[in-house]
Amino acid sequence: MKFRAVMMDSSPMREFANIVSTISKLSKECILRLSSDQLYFIVSEENNGPAPPILWCEVPQALFFSEYQIVGVDDEHKDIYLGIISANLSKSLVTLKTAKSLKMKLTKKQCPCLTLEIDLPSITMQQSRLVTHDVPVIVIPRKLWTEFHEPRVPRPDISIELPSLKQLRTTIDRMKTMSPEVVLRASAEGRLTLQIKTDLAKVSTRFRDLRVEAFEGPIDHSDSESESQINEDVSRVCYCRVDAKKFSMFLSADNISHNRTICSIVHKKLVTLCLQTEENVKLQCFITGIVY
Amino acid sequence: MKARMDDGTSQYYFTASMDSGKTLCSLLKAIQFQESAVFCAMQEGLKLTVEEGKCVQASAYVPSDNFTEYHVRDDVDVIFKISIAVLTECLNIFGSAEESSLKMYYRCEGSPLLLVLQPQSFSNVMTDCEIATQTADSLLELRDEDTSEVAKLVLKAPAFLGLLADLEKSCDVMEMHLSPEHPNVSIVTYGMQDRSCIDMPKSSDMVQSFSCEEAVTLKYQLQHIRLIMKALAVSSKVVLRCSSNGLLLLQLKLEKEDQRQMFSEFYIVPLLDD
Repeated sequence: MKFRAVMMDSSPMREFANIVSTISKLSKECILRLSSDQLYFIVSEENNGPAPPILWCEVPQALFFSEYQIVGVDDEHKDIYLGIISANLSKSLVTLKTAKSLKMKLTKKQCPCLTLEIDLPSITMQQSRLVTHDVPVIVIPRKLWTEFHEPRVPRPDISIELPSLKQLRTTIDRMKTMSPEVVLRASAEGRLTLQIKTDLAKVSTRFRDLRVEAFEGPIDHSDSESESQINEDVSRVCYCRVDAKKFSMFLSADNISHNRTICSIVHKKLVTLCLQTEENVKLQCFITGIVY
Repeated sequence: MKARMDDGTSQYYFTASMDSGKTLCSLLKAIQFQESAVFCAMQEGLKLTVEEGKCVQASAYVPSDNFTEYHVRDDVDVIFKISIAVLTECLNIFGSAEESSLKMYYRCEGSPLLLVLQPQSFSNVMTDCEIATQTADSLLELRDEDTSEVAKLVLKAPAFLGLLADLEKSCDVMEMHLSPEHPNVSIVTYGMQDRSCIDMPKSSDMVQSFSCEEAVTLKYQLQHIRLIMKALAVSSKVVLRCSSNGLLLLQLKLEKEDQRQMFSEFYIVPLLDD
């Protein structure tokens, strides 16, 4: 088993540090899966035993690394799965924003480690400094790999582009103080509504003119007493009730410079949030719907 | 659907709108030390009042000229209880960095207070809130017409805030000595081992005016006095009035960029000697 990779350009390094920092905010532990063409960060729900991942992040290696070598256990198992404390990795990568280069390799010290060699320029002298971090990892045995497969999600009823994540997060964070759950409602006409309802208040924030990527209507509302706005065809609206904290956490990903973020809803069951960057990094978050 | 502001407003008990709800929000946060407030819309303006035990009564007062539109029916009393925590969260729904226009509607007794907010820099989003209202509890009547005013001070709010911040937080009691003689005002706190004293002569920069006919000593619970600190932080000027029964009235003025003013007012009941 061997892994060695080198990053030389400043913008991918900054981006990589941002991605890891976002993941460390979302979860204490993560799985880093290395394959010949992609790096994957995978997060499963904590303390929940084997469950499908709630976060799935793909980083295409070719756009980030100038050198990339990987050798798996054998020809059948070409990938490497590592368990990492996300904060350890993110803290080690803080200096990456000003670094000249980053070398990553899998090493065997007192325990298996992901060794990061960061070459930092020095302000006063010509020489540069080489900082080495050994981040302890757990090598995940092959029989457990199945737990970290990409979740298979049902076909969404609607996929709609999200407004600015920062703006959305401010609103969600206000709502979160009033209610633990928020209802996301998306219409084929490009409207997205966030709504909370408590004994004290009902608050709805409505966005309109959003791009609808796909709509698989009509939506069956026969089993619910869902309320709608006047002049709205309910068969073109679907909704899902989710944990406000989880939703807000995903929105902290706004520090990754992204092209677009798509919100896909499986009516009443699942919300998938997918952020995509120019470098084809894909960060996906799966939030299951709350049903009474 | 909500009725538009310009047509049929008379069917509503109360409607109002303003270009930015930001200052209103910071004023309300300054008196938000209780979960609920009494909301009262009068012809002259809007007033929200909270009470701490039977010792402190704080109000935020927004004169009607702060609103671009303001309408209260004159044949009904518009007064109800509302969660001030929820109200401030709703006013701040687009974040404190954002200026949002605000409209308020209250149809009739028992109906919710409706708010419609729209940020100035994004046109494709709006928020509407329905905040539950309840019958208002009766408020304390602290003002006593029979007592006279024994001292009145006008101070710069930021400097007075600095002074209060310097007081030892663990002290329970604050003593205020007011006198026509130097040092005019001295504020004394007692800690576990020590006594500390801050003198503030009327010649001080922070004192804008001082009037006191004869020496008087008043005692207050320091934690009650500390409740005004948030309001001081957003105000420019504070007027302290002490009446002969020891009741302290603080009137704070918040000046906005557009020259309009909003106010907050605190009544604080004195500690009696035992």
